[in-house]
Amino acid sequence: MRITKFTSELPAVQRGKAIEVQVNGRRAQAFEGELISTVLQAEGISVFGRKHQTGRPSGIYCGMGVCYECLVTVNGAGNIRACQTLVADKMKIETEAQVKP
Amino acid sequence: MSESVELVVIGAGPAGIEAAVAAAQAGAEVTLIDSSPRPGGQYFKQISKAFQSDDHTEHQREAQELFQKLASSNVRVLQDTLVWGIFEGAQPDTWLLTLHGSQAPARLSARAVVIAAGAYDRSIPFPGWDLPGVMTAGAVLTMIKNQRVLPGRRVLLSGTGPLQLEAAAQLVEAGAEVVGVLESASRLIWRGIPYLPALWGQWARMREGWGYLKTLAGARVPYRLGWSVIAAHGEERVNEVVFARLDPQGRPILQSRKTGKVDTVVAGYSLTPSTELFRLLDCEMIFDSGRGGFLPRRNENLETSREGIYAAGDCAGIGGAPMSRMEGRIAGCAAALRLGHGGEDQNHQGKTALRRERRFAKMLGDLFSPPAGLYTLAKEDTILCRCEQVTLGQIREAFTFGAQTITDVKNITRSGMGNCQGRTCGSIIAQIMAAETNRKPEDVRYYNIRPPVHPVPLEVIEEHGAEKAPEREG
Repeated sequence: MRITKFTSELPAVQRGKAIEVQVNGRRAQAFEGELISTVLQAEGISVFGRKHQTGRPSGIYCGMGVCYECLVTVNGAGNIRACQTLVADKMKIETEAQVKP
Repeated sequence: MSESVELVVIGAGPAGIEAAVAAAQAGAEVTLIDSSPRPGGQYFKQISKAFQSDDHTEHQREAQELFQKLASSNVRVLQDTLVWGIFEGAQPDTWLLTLHGSQAPARLSARAVVIAAGAYDRSIPFPGWDLPGVMTAGAVLTMIKNQRVLPGRRVLLSGTGPLQLEAAAQLVEAGAEVVGVLESASRLIWRGIPYLPALWGQWARMREGWGYLKTLAGARVPYRLGWSVIAAHGEERVNEVVFARLDPQGRPILQSRKTGKVDTVVAGYSLTPSTELFRLLDCEMIFDSGRGGFLPRRNENLETSREGIYAAGDCAGIGGAPMSRMEGRIAGCAAALRLGHGGEDQNHQGKTALRRERRFAKMLGDLFSPPAGLYTLAKEDTILCRCEQVTLGQIREAFTFGAQTITDVKNITRSGMGNCQGRTCGSIIAQIMAAETNRKPEDVRYYNIRPPVHPVPLEVIEEHGAEKAPEREG
């Protein structure tokens, strides 16, 4: 959920240009300057990946590039940290793409 | 592509920027390397370039002043660049850094290095802590302050220290429903009395803390001392949380347990220093639980046991932004002096101010260290190493198998061998091992680490094939 309520302690932010990305084959709205994780959260997705050893779901945990729990596939390239990577127009994002049961 | 420079500063947070600017002002030729797209680190993290904001908060003014100082210096800044290794250089008294970044040289040889790598949230494992929807206080602050996105609708916070108060206040400001803030420390006022002198002069920080409490009170958010989350339940995301009162050792009192429906649990048990590069360099390490665990030993110029390697800010012991900035200036001046630039005057002044900051850091560290009993929350089947999916049960098998150090545990179970290189589970497994095998943290030690300290594409390493990394044991 993008924040729409602003206060003096949390001043308004003007997002970048509206762009369009693909999330698991579906079109999704995004804005320049947003992280992949932000767009996935706005789409209501909390499972970003699955552990190949156990199939357990994983999502955002540290939010600062340390834990590697938020890995997704971007334009066919795997193991991209959703919390560290900005979206771009026409980007193809896939979650849970690395399942090896 | 390889280059030689005088001084490299690693990390463009409060400590790193101050170190780089101070050294450059003294006349040193400085390269500042940072893994983010823009300088600031976690504390002064900037919103994306494509975003615009009318932010007039005190915090923002302070950040802009610091960025201005950097911009008007002649420090060369390499953003979006990971340091994945650091080695003794081929020439005497030089250090070789291996980098990964589109704008960066692959290798950099430096005569001195200031490491200001910062810190990250400390985790405490409990059943369900690896479910999506459970996250750190740092993650929540970045989401709200930098991306203006909510982590969930109904949130419980559990942990220790001022960071989770800030996260809770921000969640309220942003419109989330905060069902409560659980602080694992208890009897704060009574335990705080001996530290009262350390609060003298810290007015801005007390005002900040008071502001958070006021925001929480205004939203009628309960703040409970001596409580903690003990389990999270859910299939694909947390939907229920169990929490309980803690006994004086920090173990949960099961009769007091309660459950609540939430979609997000924020767990932030203070911070862990980022020590990978010191360990890779075989710097002598000391253990100080109040300041975050294993830290590089430093002299009064903030130089580590390896000559020409300096450590500044939270990576060398948790102390917060003001202390990091002071340490940055001291380390930057000292490194410049070592390279034959500048004088020592400013350095001396800085050291007096630093002592006051350290008293404050010690107070926070002592009052808000997670109690040992919290490390009993994990069950046999709780995952401790998330990357390699290693459970507490498997870790315990390694103890019985004869593991003496946590590096032995790593070799037996693969814990700490995954993508995060043990950053999340290292301090957890060390604590549990020390407690369950009746030994001191100094004896179970820390994970040995090898390059690359961050995952990088194979071709990045292949480029270095000709260079032989020093052999290390372990």
